[in-house]
Amino acid sequence: MAALILEISTRGLHRYQQIDQEITTVGRALDNDIILSDPTVAPYHLKIIRYGDDSLEIVNLTDVNPTRIDHQKPASLVTRDLPVSLEIGRIEARILPRDFAVAATRPLAGRGRRGHLFGHAWWSVILVLACLLVGGLDFYLGSYTSFKWGDLFKIVLRETVLTIGAFVLVLAVLERLLVNRWEIRQLVTTVCLVYLLYYLAANAADGLDYLFSASWPTTLFQFGWFLVVIPVAIALYLVNISHLKPGRSVILALLIASPIAVPAIMQSPALYALLDDFSSTARYHNNLSPFNLHLGQTVTIDAFIAQAQKLEAGEFAD
Amino acid sequence: MLLRFLAAGLLLAGIYAPQAAALDSKKIYQLNENRVFQVRVLNRETGKKSSIGSGFIVGDGSQIATNYHVIGQVILEPDVFYISYIGKDGEEGELKMLGLDVAHDLALLGADKRVGDPIRMSELPPRGAPIFAMGNPLDLGLTIAVGTNGGILNQTDDSRILFSGSLNPGMSGGPTFNDHGEVIGINVATARNDISFIVPSRFLTDLIEHSADGAFDASADLKLEVARQVLAYENRYIDQLLQNEWPDLDLRKFRLPGAVSPTVRCWDNSAKLSAIARYRRFQIRCTNKNHVYLDEDNNFVGKLIYEYFWLESDELNAFQFYNLYENLNKDQIETKMDRDIVSNFNCKTWFVEVSSQELKSNLCRREYVEYQGMSDVLFTAALTAHSDKGFFITLIMTGVDYEATLPLIRRFLEHSEWRP
Repeated sequence: MAALILEISTRGLHRYQQIDQEITTVGRALDNDIILSDPTVAPYHLKIIRYGDDSLEIVNLTDVNPTRIDHQKPASLVTRDLPVSLEIGRIEARILPRDFAVAATRPLAGRGRRGHLFGHAWWSVILVLACLLVGGLDFYLGSYTSFKWGDLFKIVLRETVLTIGAFVLVLAVLERLLVNRWEIRQLVTTVCLVYLLYYLAANAADGLDYLFSASWPTTLFQFGWFLVVIPVAIALYLVNISHLKPGRSVILALLIASPIAVPAIMQSPALYALLDDFSSTARYHNNLSPFNLHLGQTVTIDAFIAQAQKLEAGEFAD
Repeated sequence: MLLRFLAAGLLLAGIYAPQAAALDSKKIYQLNENRVFQVRVLNRETGKKSSIGSGFIVGDGSQIATNYHVIGQVILEPDVFYISYIGKDGEEGELKMLGLDVAHDLALLGADKRVGDPIRMSELPPRGAPIFAMGNPLDLGLTIAVGTNGGILNQTDDSRILFSGSLNPGMSGGPTFNDHGEVIGINVATARNDISFIVPSRFLTDLIEHSADGAFDASADLKLEVARQVLAYENRYIDQLLQNEWPDLDLRKFRLPGAVSPTVRCWDNSAKLSAIARYRRFQIRCTNKNHVYLDEDNNFVGKLIYEYFWLESDELNAFQFYNLYENLNKDQIETKMDRDIVSNFNCKTWFVEVSSQELKSNLCRREYVEYQGMSDVLFTAALTAHSDKGFFITLIMTGVDYEATLPLIRRFLEHSEWRP
């Protein structure tokens, strides 16, 4: 009689119990063979009887929350077909043959590969330094008064380090709760990559605004970043680093991203422009660029005035 | 010898020839207390006052002159409000509109009977002469304020007299007399501290003459008439601006139009910079003073405001400079209005070559909900392609005919000269 396995679904990793006796009892009482401490499980919930012909019988022992077998509630069931799914109270379980095929092993991201961003702690250090450099550059480009190293230090520390640190901390705690692991190095790498990408994308969108004399690149960026890029980055992290299933990763990514995305979108001028059919002030393209790259042709005063004659007034609000 | 005495006598007679005796404020008050009324806007439902002003008898004795802004509420909501007068003796009656001069803030009203003798009108006395303003300040009763004539103000397009005396709310629309008891103007506004403004009586004379042709239809939608008058005034004003010689105003590398009319005043508006700033900025703002009262919601239109802004730095690199330049290149002029007053702005961007330089230019236009054909226009133009110099102009005109503003914008650009 080959041994069977009772797979008990839990949050994160499953629990597996071997069924190698002729009769195995399952319940909350401590004299059961398999003890389930969930309050919805009866003291003596079910028993599994194995026969010599490799069949097994599952017998329900409780009237409260009776055992569901393959979504039915029989008093007992004799079967040879495995796996069999069970609902024991609110606990989901399966009876599996011992040789039941398991999914392929997922490799640890970048483990042992020095060139891989998740392969070595040095990458985390390099990316943190890159973020500090970008934070410092941002401060430097936005400072119009005499430069002070003290200010640079304060701003970079306050804004860059705190931003990255806060994200890493929150995500690390979430990961700990979800998969019972700390992946600090990978988190630092991921958060730094997202930070650097944000800086690049924001500046690129600004440049495109000027290029097209339009505001759609910035609008697209503001919405796309928080509604697409951030959730996708989190989902990819959960799939590849935390090794969660894709479906669950997407849902979790949306949940994790929403506290960041919702306030950012709500405060976005682009949202106001989309939702409010009236603006009390003129929304015109005031952005300027040192590169002065633009697709609009430079026109003479005559041509400008001729074209300006066709300008209509804006729409009246409802 | 006899001839000499005769000649001397004639000369003395000429010099000391008797003239009409100058009246004092007491006498002027006594002569006119029954010819100056409180003009009131009343709610048809409650019968209570919504706003008050003053008025006085003109024309054939059944006409009362006041300010347009005293009765403007009736034009906005004719079904809710009506106009009435009440005299010192308590006699009152309803008034109908006979004519409007919105640009000069005048209204001519008619009673259904003769209400008294019209007051004679006259030209402005010499500067410094005493003048007397009558009216009903703060609903406290008829009074007279003594002051002096400060002369016609050319910064108001000759439509205001400076009165060095005290006008208070409720006196709007009342008469201002010379010391012969003749009306030389109509009380209209105050800037406090004995600085007040009077509409010259010649505009009222014109209004009385024009209203005599009977073309004014008080039962029509008067907002159309208001818009027509404002636009006609603004078009004349813009034509006048275009005909003027414009003085130059030098702002670093740009030679620009200065005060384009006597109605415009230019002020340095440069912000004080920190001692550690690594750039220099200069700002000049020019504004006109001949605004036109439109209504309670919109207040004044006819504003012409243009602002020049220069930014330069030898110390900032191009990226730092453009960060700062972009932050400063914002609409510096207040354009906020509610949705029930104006449409949205529609803006378009051009890159325009001006005096061999490229300016990133935006032109925005919006219209008034209630006043057909009236627009607000915003024009901005920012210098591009210099890594250490920035310049932008912001120009706004309110309550104008959009088409009429384009020649003005053209002239602004053509007048702007880059001086390397």
